[in-house]
Amino acid sequence: MTDDRRLEGDTQRLGGDARPGGNDGRGGGDDRRTLEGGDVVQTDGDVVQPDGDVVQPDGGYATLTDADVGRAGDSGTWYRQLLVVAETEYRLAIRSRWAIAMTGIFAAFALGLTTFSGSSVSPEGFERTVASLAVLAVYLVPLVALAFSYDAIVGREESGWLHTLFALPVERAWLVVGSALGRAVVLASATILGFGIAGGFLLREFGLAGFDAYVGFLLATAGLGLAFLAIGVLVSSLAREKTHALGISLLVWAWFVLVHDLLGLGLIAAFDLSDAAVSAMLLANPTGIFRALVLGSLGAAGDAGFATVLADSGLSSGLLVAALLAWIVLPTTLAALAIRRRRL
Amino acid sequence: MQITITDVHKRYGDVVALGGPSFEIPSGSTYGVLGTNGAGKTTLFELLVGHDRPDEGRIDVGGIDVAEAGHRVRERVAFLPEHAGFPPAMTGREVLDVHARIRGLSARDERIDEALETVGLSEAADRAVSGYSNGMGRRLGLASTLLSEPPVLVLDEPTAGLDPRGVATFHEVIERIDRETDATVVLSSHVLEEVERLCDEVAILEDGRLRAAGPVDELRAAAGDGVTVEIRPAGADDGAKRTRERLLESVQALGEVTETDETIAVVCDREDALSLCSTLDSALIDRFEVREPGLEAAFHDALATAGRTREDDGGGDAAEPRTEVRA
Repeated sequence: MTDDRRLEGDTQRLGGDARPGGNDGRGGGDDRRTLEGGDVVQTDGDVVQPDGDVVQPDGGYATLTDADVGRAGDSGTWYRQLLVVAETEYRLAIRSRWAIAMTGIFAAFALGLTTFSGSSVSPEGFERTVASLAVLAVYLVPLVALAFSYDAIVGREESGWLHTLFALPVERAWLVVGSALGRAVVLASATILGFGIAGGFLLREFGLAGFDAYVGFLLATAGLGLAFLAIGVLVSSLAREKTHALGISLLVWAWFVLVHDLLGLGLIAAFDLSDAAVSAMLLANPTGIFRALVLGSLGAAGDAGFATVLADSGLSSGLLVAALLAWIVLPTTLAALAIRRRRL
Repeated sequence: MQITITDVHKRYGDVVALGGPSFEIPSGSTYGVLGTNGAGKTTLFELLVGHDRPDEGRIDVGGIDVAEAGHRVRERVAFLPEHAGFPPAMTGREVLDVHARIRGLSARDERIDEALETVGLSEAADRAVSGYSNGMGRRLGLASTLLSEPPVLVLDEPTAGLDPRGVATFHEVIERIDRETDATVVLSSHVLEEVERLCDEVAILEDGRLRAAGPVDELRAAAGDGVTVEIRPAGADDGAKRTRERLLESVQALGEVTETDETIAVVCDREDALSLCSTLDSALIDRFEVREPGLEAAFHDALATAGRTREDDGGGDAAEPRTEVRA
């Protein structure tokens, strides 16, 4: 052990020899007490060492300095810890070939759909193809995002990595947020790259007029994926076993992608719902928000099911984007809170 | 760095995990926490490293209240959990780099090399963890705790699941830490011989309560000079059951009997042990072992004393500690 990195002796003496009784850390007496080694405990609890230096009472963890723990400057702060966790998750996802697999899946499905869509070369043909891609994305992206995230926490627990990370001096919340962030970068990159390849072919065929619309579609698709990734991380933080997390994730997918849409259509058909109720129903489902964003911007809202009513819901693009962001932030926040109560 | 545990209570629902143990862990010592399954060792460690807060009582690490310090106490207390694991795709060096960066340590490469060398993993440092044996994984975990050269190391059953060679290597590392640093090492174990070899002092827990605490030598002395006779009955199925009953009849009068699925152990006088050896039918026995007085005797003595006290009290709550060697 090199001396320059050893914990300062004063700190050890403060914690150890200075308080042999293990009392409340204040010296336990009204008078000055002389301790082994010549240290003196003052009435205010400060420890005066023989060389005259005054060591503050512990009364909280603020007494532990960077030098005490051999830290480098502002390293070890929460945002750096978060970034280390995120970077580690990113590297693990790359090495486990999740990134390549997701990119390949998105590119294959998107290219297949654009190749065999049979749309004529016209502005309407472009919009119809993007609308078809949006329908594909509604089914595919949430499924892939949930598959990628359901084991983010519970899987790390089963492998023992979560035990190891919990043993470090880091807030558990940052471990969850860092894990979600690392995976989010991988998923968003895969989504943009996978659907971007198909977009390249589309733009070559239909011209650059649709570039802005396609970028909007890509961003919305990435947002949809991130919302379901956040939901997957939340499920993973709550589940006790990986199999439970997988089952719940499949139910989540079925609810948001299949059931909610049908239920919404049924309710609208059966009752004369107000615009506010329709809007609330739309915002309660990230896939609905995604459809509203993409199909609304394309002016092709008449293509599919619940989307028929979206154009009339009166929701602005800004509100829809904010709602999609909320679907990303809220589950992640809940997961960060849930992890604090988790017993390993 | 001294650790003081004062009347710590922890309850999970109706289950009392800790029922008020109080003891001190001297600075610089290697301290063992012993107990049967469910004794409260892991709960105590969770509280000690700030994973949870006690319902009542206080744990001080170097004069700092762990409950107040929260996760930051782990800047002083490095913890190796029993079920620690690592992503198989990472190399040992990368794992330690993540640890060092989260801890925000300076001179990372130097620290990592030093920790790897201490645990004997220098050559395997750049291999993926997926190729590590259990023992290497545990040593990597230990290396991760050494990075910040912490004043306190807490190791939860560090040798559980290791083969004899892995256990021996791990022991050597712990002994080296004990020799070369002034860190306080706190470890839990079911293996009494291990604790006896590594630890200066021990605390024995049962049902969340302290049954005994003090230096190993003094606990051994307090337990008397009785030897432990361990017998593995022969036979199988119904035959084994009858054999076990006959053996139990033979040993019950000699002293405190402890049974496991495979063995019967009794702590008794040397003369009784010799007499038992000569009178037992060898056909009934697979193995007969006599062990000299050791921590095992102290452990059984502490638990038996507590058991007798419970019976005397009418089977109520667990008794207060009866064996307290240290002042």
